[in-house]
Amino acid sequence: MPPRQNASRPTTTGTRVQAQPQPSTDDPRIMLDRQIGADLFEPIPPYPPRTEREGEFYTLGDGEMFLNVGPHHPATHGVLRLVLKLSGEQVVDVDPVLGYLHRGVEKICENSDYYHVIDQVDPLEYISSLFQEWAAVLSFEKLMDVEVPRRAEYIRVLSGELLRIASHTLYMGFLALDLGGLTPILYGFIERDEIVEMLAALTGARMLFNYFRIGGVNGDLNHEFMSRLGDWMSRAARQTEASAGLLNENEIFVRRTRGMGVLDRATALRFGVTGGNLRATGVPFDVRRAHPYSVYPELDFSIPTRTEGDSLARYLIRVDEVRESIKIIDQCLHNIPDGPVMAKLPRLLRPRPGRSWGACEGPRGMMGVYSISDGSDGPFRFRIHDPSFVNLETVPALLPGNLLADTMAIVASLDPVMGGIDK
Amino acid sequence: MRTSMTSVTAFVKSLPAGVLVRLSPAERLALIFSPLAIGGGVVTVLAIALLGPPFTDFLGANLPLVRFAVAASAILLMTVPTAFVLIYLELKVIARMNLRVGPNRIGPWGSAMSVVHGLKVLAKEDFAPTGADVTIFTLAPVVTYLASIMTLLVIPFAPGLIGQDLNIGLLYFFAVGGLTVVGLLMAGWSSFNKYSLLGGLRAAAQIISYEIPLTLSVVGVILLAGTMSTNRIVLAQSGSLLDWFVFRQPLAVLVFFIAATAEANRTPFDMTEADSEIVAGFATEYSGMRFGFFFFAEYVNVFIVSALAATLFFGGWTAPFNWPLAYDLNWFNPWSLGFFGWTAIVLAVLVIGTEFFAVIVRLFGGREWSAWDAMGLGFLIDLVLVVGILGLAGFIAFDWVHGIFWFMVKTYAFVFTFVWMRATLPRVRVDQLMGFAWKWLLPASLLNLFATATAVVLLNR
Repeated sequence: MPPRQNASRPTTTGTRVQAQPQPSTDDPRIMLDRQIGADLFEPIPPYPPRTEREGEFYTLGDGEMFLNVGPHHPATHGVLRLVLKLSGEQVVDVDPVLGYLHRGVEKICENSDYYHVIDQVDPLEYISSLFQEWAAVLSFEKLMDVEVPRRAEYIRVLSGELLRIASHTLYMGFLALDLGGLTPILYGFIERDEIVEMLAALTGARMLFNYFRIGGVNGDLNHEFMSRLGDWMSRAARQTEASAGLLNENEIFVRRTRGMGVLDRATALRFGVTGGNLRATGVPFDVRRAHPYSVYPELDFSIPTRTEGDSLARYLIRVDEVRESIKIIDQCLHNIPDGPVMAKLPRLLRPRPGRSWGACEGPRGMMGVYSISDGSDGPFRFRIHDPSFVNLETVPALLPGNLLADTMAIVASLDPVMGGIDK
Repeated sequence: MRTSMTSVTAFVKSLPAGVLVRLSPAERLALIFSPLAIGGGVVTVLAIALLGPPFTDFLGANLPLVRFAVAASAILLMTVPTAFVLIYLELKVIARMNLRVGPNRIGPWGSAMSVVHGLKVLAKEDFAPTGADVTIFTLAPVVTYLASIMTLLVIPFAPGLIGQDLNIGLLYFFAVGGLTVVGLLMAGWSSFNKYSLLGGLRAAAQIISYEIPLTLSVVGVILLAGTMSTNRIVLAQSGSLLDWFVFRQPLAVLVFFIAATAEANRTPFDMTEADSEIVAGFATEYSGMRFGFFFFAEYVNVFIVSALAATLFFGGWTAPFNWPLAYDLNWFNPWSLGFFGWTAIVLAVLVIGTEFFAVIVRLFGGREWSAWDAMGLGFLIDLVLVVGILGLAGFIAFDWVHGIFWFMVKTYAFVFTFVWMRATLPRVRVDQLMGFAWKWLLPASLLNLFATATAVVLLNR
């Protein structure tokens, strides 16, 4: 990068611009206007564009302007930043900028031992942190050939499905909030709070649980958890139908989501989209069925799919999944066997050198962990496949042609969590 | 001010040493500022004595001007408590609908919340962003605020209680009310922010589009009443419940209500400040009292469109049924009691009432009530009772009290509906909004106008 000749400063579009030499005038106000205009309205990168795409994006056409949405926009989910190229209110092009929440979790995990990885991956997808633990634990158990007790597997499924419901209720609320509806998010939080309090009774924490262990779980089911769960199960189905009815039958909501941000099957598969976003395009891919793990093969549940691929389909898939999860929890409560919740393991875990891939179905799609062991007590290499990241990659394909008003709604319907995306 | 402060300092220095230390803070304040208060009192008395007679002569000679000045200042002053009540109502009602508690810290049930909100806004820094056009940036909230509250001048609150009974009242209302969009555009343009610009342009497009069905829906009422004076429109509906125009213009009420929602920028048409899209729209760069003016204007606007809906379609201040207990108080001549009579009555009611209730509080409340606390509570009970009895008497005897009551009931029913909608509905999209205005509301209002005109011509002949 050549040294910059002129003073520059960050602009509303986030790129650095060069102050252009201006013809001098006597009127200081005109000078000021010109300087400001040059600084703030003409986003010329100080460097030659790094890619062809970047050069194309940062060249404004006729009547177009840049609008910087985020990272501190009231409606972006976390610290997502979207540089939009607008023509009027219509989105012409979009450049998502990531990395505001990057903490280098994968590297931290490589520097810690196998036990510590579990609490390091917790804050990634903070809405549903049990699933990262699950993926990591699955991967490590394959490395070490550990047999997990069946009771522990049932407890994992039980807590995971509870957390999936909590995550989906929040999703519905935030989607409505980005469309301007105030109330569903608060109802969603009430339901999530019940679940989270329940899990707090089980695990000791409300958000970052640190509950799963290599070879089992940290503690057995206890009385408080079971009584809260029974109390909640008695009205869960009814409550789900009520909060879904609040939006499903709302004409404005349906009109603003139907046909918006249509993701077709080929694009979804090409990007590697997973989870509800893929199932909304008609592909019945669910890790719980496609690559069965834990005790899911013993449980009876269906994989809801839809063919439209739009925001409404993605939303309705989530509603159906909540219903399925309630069914799974019910079966778990009936089938759970007695026994230990932890396998017998040595204090120091030193698997043989090798590599393994463990994946589970999180609320947002396939949550996977790829780890390589070199025979020491920690992973030599540790990589996380986060579904939000892949799902967010489709945003530049979905947004162009839509209005600014739908930007946030479409992004919200993909359900990204920035903690997992930036890692 | 400066001289008075120096005299205060001089007075404090002239006090014997150590006096101030022995006093409580309140007493200290009272002692320090007592010369100022006495001096101010003397000056006031002198001013009234010297300037009073020529001033009253001037007022007597220009009664219409006086009436207008009083009405204008009353309306200006009325907007502040109205906005406070509306903001509190919105916070509390939406909170209950969201299964929350809402404000509950300041005042009973948090009722002083919006007052404190107002004070906070006043205390904030007066700030304009770099690159903003400061003149227009400063003027924009003023334009919006004035344009909204000027429309209150033609709203009839009660028989005889109207700012100015213009014969072109409705025309004035829509002409002045349409000016708010100028303020919003000014704010959007001068803020030097793209979000503000988008918000301002959205406001312009939205308000201008919805102005047309709004105005057309009212023309039916004008045809029926044969006048544009809001006062006479109310009088035209004053027979019975069935004379309200809502029963003759149901379609117009619907169109009016939807268009008014868009006009007041309320959910589901709050495109101009959609927080999930354009941060805060035209108000993005505003803070402090400038933002406060926008905020006030927004809530006063809600009150105004509700009041206009009540006036045009729901009989304004007329009662839905005849009050059976009407009582004529005209036999009572308040002047016959004279100054001393009134003083004696007021003192007797306040002192005897306070003592009476204080004794009751001490009798039934037990020992934890000190004499002063009991007196305070007794005074409050006394005051509430007196105000209640006077209000009830006024309601029975004076038709303007009666009128205000029914007017406020109807208006706040609409206000509640607006708040309710905000808690319930998501926001529509910009293109859906414009399409709805031009494809549905405009034809509906034209249809209504045509039907009304035909009916008026056929039935009058």
